[in-house]
Amino acid sequence: MSSPISPACAHRDAGPSRRDLLAAGSAGLALAALPYPAFPATQTPLAELIARVTDGAVPTRGGIEFEIPRLVENGNSVDVAIRIESPMTAQDHVRWIHLIAEKNPFPDMARFQLSPHSGRAQVSATFRLATSQKVVVIAALSRGGYLMSDADIVVTLSACIEGG
Amino acid sequence: MANFNARITMPAEAKAGDIVEIRVLVRHPMDRGGQVDAEGRIVPRKILNRLTVAYAGDQVFRFDMHTGVAANPFVSFTTRAVATGDLVFEWREDGGAVFTRTARLVVT
Repeated sequence: MSSPISPACAHRDAGPSRRDLLAAGSAGLALAALPYPAFPATQTPLAELIARVTDGAVPTRGGIEFEIPRLVENGNSVDVAIRIESPMTAQDHVRWIHLIAEKNPFPDMARFQLSPHSGRAQVSATFRLATSQKVVVIAALSRGGYLMSDADIVVTLSACIEGG
Repeated sequence: MANFNARITMPAEAKAGDIVEIRVLVRHPMDRGGQVDAEGRIVPRKILNRLTVAYAGDQVFRFDMHTGVAANPFVSFTTRAVATGDLVFEWREDGGAVFTRTARLVVT
């Protein structure tokens, strides 16, 4: 089961419990500073995660309507809607849209492959967010180049991050 | 998954050239792996890793999913109505299982 309240998330002796985390949070400690075992020891920097999907190219900011709640109560199900203004012709269309959550155990969340048959560059889906973090959308254009947009999301109940 | 439950929502008919929105909801735990179940066993990763949609002889959409996609994944996308025919939805699950559903679009 992958429900956040299932025993799957309990894993008591592996690290601080959610209650500990909450207590620490209210005591003013930065959650990210806690030695939570689920996070990889070295997190790949966001710039590198982006460069990986764009083959090193630097995406242009803007041109993407990125709808995602800024405050997420349940990280297990986060609704995301993305729309890009594009004629979606054979010459000029959005090839794909890629989503990165830098602090998820597996940062690449999904990729939508579009084509001129799509008619519009408009997609939506539901995702998991392990913790409060920046979520990035990258869109690849058929005429070359990439667009990007990002959003800082606060997650109050994280998707169970252990094991990922 | 013996009973693969997918709900596909889209208009039954459309005018040629119209852009139709298709919404797909699937019942699936999307086990991301490494978690411990009630009996203390490690649950292996088992997610739907890809949805492809073919229509009128073309692949019109593909959704590559990783562990960051929520359980019971929902996705919506659009396609241009060109000819009366079936949209063929095909999901690929970790381990190689494939599930297929179709939905008919009548184009006037």
